[in-house]
Amino acid sequence: MNTRGQNILLWTTPVAGVLFLFAYFMFPPFSGPMSPTMTPEQVAAFFRENVASIRGVVIFCNLIGAMLVPLFATITVQMLRVGNSSPVFAYSYIIAVGIGMTAFILADFAWGVAIFRPDRDPQLISLLNDMAWFFFVAPVGTIIVQNLCLAGSIYLDARPDPVFPRWVAHFNVLTAVLMVPGAFALMHKTGPLAWDGSLSFSLRLITFAVYVAVMFCVLLTIVNRQVEHEGVVA
Amino acid sequence: MSGSITADGQYTTQQGTPWYKNKKLDQLICFWSVPFFYSLFGLVFVPLSWMMPPRSPASAMPQIVEFMQSPKLLIACTILTLAVGLSAVGNAVYMCQMKRMSVSPVFRFAFMAGAMTGAIVGCLFPMFCFGLGAFRSGYDPEILAMLYDFGYLSFIGCMGCFFLNWSCLGLSILLDTNNTLPKWLGYYTLWQSVSELVIAPVWIAKSGPFAWDGLMSFWLAMVIYVPWQMIVYICVYRAIKSQPESELDNAHLMPAANYA
Amino acid sequence: MSISADTALAASDIGERKPLTSGHLPGESSMWFFIIGDLLIFGVYFISYMIYRGQNQELFLQSQQHLNQGVGAINTIVLLTSSLFVALGTQAARDGKKSDAYRLWALALALGAAFPLLKMIEWIPKIGAGLTAGKNLFFTYYYMMTGLHLCHVLLGLVIMGFVMRNLRASTQPNIKFVETGAMYWHMVDLLWLVLFALFYLMR
Repeated sequence: MNTRGQNILLWTTPVAGVLFLFAYFMFPPFSGPMSPTMTPEQVAAFFRENVASIRGVVIFCNLIGAMLVPLFATITVQMLRVGNSSPVFAYSYIIAVGIGMTAFILADFAWGVAIFRPDRDPQLISLLNDMAWFFFVAPVGTIIVQNLCLAGSIYLDARPDPVFPRWVAHFNVLTAVLMVPGAFALMHKTGPLAWDGSLSFSLRLITFAVYVAVMFCVLLTIVNRQVEHEGVVA
Repeated sequence: MSGSITADGQYTTQQGTPWYKNKKLDQLICFWSVPFFYSLFGLVFVPLSWMMPPRSPASAMPQIVEFMQSPKLLIACTILTLAVGLSAVGNAVYMCQMKRMSVSPVFRFAFMAGAMTGAIVGCLFPMFCFGLGAFRSGYDPEILAMLYDFGYLSFIGCMGCFFLNWSCLGLSILLDTNNTLPKWLGYYTLWQSVSELVIAPVWIAKSGPFAWDGLMSFWLAMVIYVPWQMIVYICVYRAIKSQPESELDNAHLMPAANYA
Repeated sequence: MSISADTALAASDIGERKPLTSGHLPGESSMWFFIIGDLLIFGVYFISYMIYRGQNQELFLQSQQHLNQGVGAINTIVLLTSSLFVALGTQAARDGKKSDAYRLWALALALGAAFPLLKMIEWIPKIGAGLTAGKNLFFTYYYMMTGLHLCHVLLGLVIMGFVMRNLRASTQPNIKFVETGAMYWHMVDLLWLVLFALFYLMR
């Protein structure tokens, strides 16, 4: 058994990070997300005026949408090494990843359809934009469950030499809690909880970016330790 | 805590057992999330939003508009967003029992794929259709009617992934030589998967027994589904409890003296 | 499960022939659960059909005229004959006549395989003529019920294949399994008889 596959997949994570950052800044204007208070006419106007750049982001995210899966898959593989009585947490984890990724891609599709014919009825464009935002919010819930499953498996690791350091569990619980406000974007159009607000948008995305970076470093250490301890080939 | 490597390469505990007593705690935590999730699910779809039992596809426009603009639909969406990840846990619980069966892993991996798709197209997306109608006032009644149709059709008319899942589970049970789950449950699960096919006409009928609120496609399907859902988890619980501790994945980590 | 060689010899001494099974109930008990439950579910569907037929008598009567009673009758004969061969084949297996049993089941399978073909011959012209499941309530019921039954038939053919493989491959065929397969097929036959009566004959 060797860990080469895990290493290869893990190192796609920083690449994915760079690409996602690039996608974020591709979106016009730099000032950030569209406000939910925009009327259908304003939304349609915005889409009409920024066709090229929105299309670029949409197609780009379509391509890179699944690029964080390798990191999550590596986490799953390590979760299977954890000393739990069953793989139930690992299975829950990977299914939740699948659900969240599907939602993200649907969000991308909804924006894609919205920008496909910018001269459609403004109400329909606005509806598609709303739909995209709903699906962009949705992964909040799957990440919460994912992280709690990872934390659970770490807390219940019966190995004398646990796979994950315990602080990773605490970290996962913390990030899960910080994601919760994001779900309430479905109920507010203004304020910090709205989908462009400081809690639902900024806090959520920053938390997620930090989370990915930290977990990437953690996994690198763990995979290399697997090499030392279990005598597997790197 | 540090351990040492034995001659055959296994880790042994030097000092005592892990901090928790119940060896199957991970499985039990995940199992008990299921009734919690389904209760929440029931609350969200019934008394909170009154989306269920399903309204008629032949409802008059004013009633559709009034229903689609209720702010309770948004509360339902928010709760479901937070809770939908638990469907992954409920499905993982099935997969763990499937892993104990003597059948090929392909069954549980196919099941896993179905679980992912089903959570979105058959659960989250339909609720979002209703929430989208309530999110913004001023949408044309025609648009609200379209969301109403899309919501109900995707919720009740979603057949493929569930057909796949229950067929995989049912077949696994029937072919399993380890008797992890009882054979009659395998047959009941296959009824559950075949009754998905009776739902097909909801995409055609606007009234009568084959509409999405009809006797055949909804009510009789519920008569088959609801008891099955409860019974299958009772059987799974029994299977978790009756799994010998020596067969647990972490059995090699527990000092021999601690076996029940 | 099977009786010892001594007892078998003793029995044949007396001039009797003992069957190779030891159980009283033929086939797996879980298959009985399945059959009774399946019949119950279909029964409820049939009752709902009758209720709606009662409410829409004109429509149902008119629509029924489009059904081809001739093909329906051929289907009935095909299934009944197939069931007969299944019963004969099962008895042959019980009596230890492996190759006879295999041949009889093969005949049953060949007949059974004709059923889906006949169904297509019935359905395709109808669909071409616009008599689809969406045409009216009668046709929705018709396609749903015969469609569900067809799924059962197809599954039955697969089961038959496994029974035949068991009969040919092993020295001592698994009689319980053969009986289970036979029971399933008889149930499929019974369901068709009711379907035929309700949809084709009751006018």
